[in-house]
Amino acid sequence: MPGPGVAAYLIISVILFATGAFGVLIRRSPLIVLLALEIMLNAGNLALIAFARQTGTGSGQIFALTVMVVAAAEAVVGLGLIVAISRRHIDLDVDKLTTLRG
Amino acid sequence: MTGAAWIALFAPAAAVVLIALAGTRIPRRAAGILAAGSALVSFICSVIAFVGLLGESPEERTHFSTLWTWLSAGRLQIGAQILVDPLSVFMMLVVSGVGFLILAYATGYMHGDAEERRYHAYKALFLFSMLLLVEAGNLVLLLAGWGMVGLSSYLLINFWHHRASAVAAGKKAFIMNAFGDATFVLAIFLLIQRTGSVDFRSVLQDGVVKHGSAVAVLIALGLLGGAVAKSAQVPLHTWLPDAMEGPTPVSALIHAATMVTAGVYLIVRTHVLFELAPAIQDLAGILGAITILLAGVVALVQTDIKRVIAYSTMSQIGYMFVAVGLGAYGSGLFHLMTHAFFKALLFMAAGIVIHALSDEQDIRRMGGLGRALPLTYRAFVVGALALAAIPPFAGFFSKDSILGAAANAGTLGWILWGAGAIGAFLTALYTFRLLFIVFWGDLSPFAREHVHVKRFEGGFAMAWPVAVLTVLSVVGGWLQVPWGWSLVNDWIDPVAESAEEATGVTFTFSVVASLALALGGIWLAWRLYGRPSGAPARVRKRWPWATRTLEHKFWFDELYDRLFSAPAAGMAVALGRDVERPVFLASLGGIATGVRSASRRLSTVQTGFVREYALALAAGLAVLAIVFILVT
Repeated sequence: MPGPGVAAYLIISVILFATGAFGVLIRRSPLIVLLALEIMLNAGNLALIAFARQTGTGSGQIFALTVMVVAAAEAVVGLGLIVAISRRHIDLDVDKLTTLRG
Repeated sequence: MTGAAWIALFAPAAAVVLIALAGTRIPRRAAGILAAGSALVSFICSVIAFVGLLGESPEERTHFSTLWTWLSAGRLQIGAQILVDPLSVFMMLVVSGVGFLILAYATGYMHGDAEERRYHAYKALFLFSMLLLVEAGNLVLLLAGWGMVGLSSYLLINFWHHRASAVAAGKKAFIMNAFGDATFVLAIFLLIQRTGSVDFRSVLQDGVVKHGSAVAVLIALGLLGGAVAKSAQVPLHTWLPDAMEGPTPVSALIHAATMVTAGVYLIVRTHVLFELAPAIQDLAGILGAITILLAGVVALVQTDIKRVIAYSTMSQIGYMFVAVGLGAYGSGLFHLMTHAFFKALLFMAAGIVIHALSDEQDIRRMGGLGRALPLTYRAFVVGALALAAIPPFAGFFSKDSILGAAANAGTLGWILWGAGAIGAFLTALYTFRLLFIVFWGDLSPFAREHVHVKRFEGGFAMAWPVAVLTVLSVVGGWLQVPWGWSLVNDWIDPVAESAEEATGVTFTFSVVASLALALGGIWLAWRLYGRPSGAPARVRKRWPWATRTLEHKFWFDELYDRLFSAPAAGMAVALGRDVERPVFLASLGGIATGVRSASRRLSTVQTGFVREYALALAAGLAVLAIVFILVT
């Protein structure tokens, strides 16, 4: 199947990953942090599928599917945590959630 | 036949499990009946095996039976294997027969004790271990039984664990036996290394190791070490008198009739290995002779009724060692059997005396009990006559069989014969000293105050086993009568051929001389102790040094204390003071402080900012990626 080579996909994947990582590091709202995390996961998925297409084997796709399931589960837990935090009337700001300081 | 032997072996084990599982749901008396009943089952099965062997020709009387492979290591296969042959059946009959009588006696003796059930369970456990020891078909299984009788002995010596002296005595017995077990194990290791087997079929063959070689000597020496410790022979004898801290039926069963004779059984069973190292076999006889004399003279000054009998036990086992040391296996086992009868009888009679006097064991407070306990007195007289080897009682035939064999064994034989003959004099002297002090004369003030006599002088449960043993102590010796027949020798010969006994004039001389010495001993005891007199005190005064030596039992305990106990204790104290306190304990505090301050500093890294963690992760990943690129 003709189309762009694997390098193009990888460049997009790297851009996506960097965007996501940047978002995790600089944003203070936990909701946006979660969102950025999803972007990072999907960057990984993209790279996996690109490699899967290049090698012609299915294992990369299976990995990607597994990552999606994990991402969904992680979103459920993360959102659940956010809802629980907001229910207790605590500011939704990751820099203020520092009770675990040693 | 082997089936019966297996049942005989496992019946007491079943009783142990039942008593342990049933706990308080069965009455105390039932526990005792269960234990005694299992011994009866064992005895009946032993008789069945005996009858089965009788029906065969003497060469065919060897049956191995393996239930499963117990241990397997490379070429070495050790089975849960029993051996039914004349020797093991002989021992089974003695162990389960006398064991049954003593367990039945114990139901009366221990009645009302706070932990009666535990006692009966231990007693059945001992019986199982002892039967395992005598039935085992290979050396490792024999060793298992060997260790387990040591364990049951330990458990029963300190049965009254609230008495500090009983606990100490138990430990002493255990440690001294552990020494013997260790040499026994080393001998087995050497055998495995040389022959690759522990099976009696392949190990007990002539020429399994070279005759008189260093290996043969070491193996025999290791086995002898085990036998000497278990049978309380010099120099590993000091535990037996202390073991009298246990209840009297324990002394009768374990420390007189069965366990302490296991060493004799071991030597007869492995006589092939001993015959390959004649020097060690002679050593067994010499140690036996030393024990006869040493225990005999120490018994003269003991004041505890059970300790006198305990020293007598050591001395009598000395005779058995002399017999097996000279190759007179049949005579040794014959004395083992008669000794089991009359020594159990003496202990059980002493038990009735102790019971009647509210647990008093000091003979200086006894006296004149013949009038208060006439039946016990008669039983004790029979036991004493059997022990002193007066015809027609059992001890006469077995002891003269041993002395007759010694008289036919060259120079060493005559030296051992001399020890045995002097031993006969000492035996009669200390036995009748005990008898006269305890039973003759007027009732002592202490006895008048404390004596209380039950029906049959000890209750029915205690009386009938004593009666049976009294009869056996009379007729038990008639199995082997000089100039008549020798049933025990004939029975044992297929397993271990006995050395020839002296005949004719030599034998007559041996019998007459030892009998004269024994009668002389009784006469001297009567002169000294038959009526109240100052004679014993005068003897003490004339030889104060000898008296002190005997009262200190030749200072063996003091010597071992100096040699082993004190250095070990001193080293422990020094190590505690100079190593443990300054090095280990001090360093523990330092280590704790260091770890605490280091972790306090480290914990500042944990800021609680999620984004910092994420950054650290990302940075770490980046470093890894760069390293990865640079390396490849």
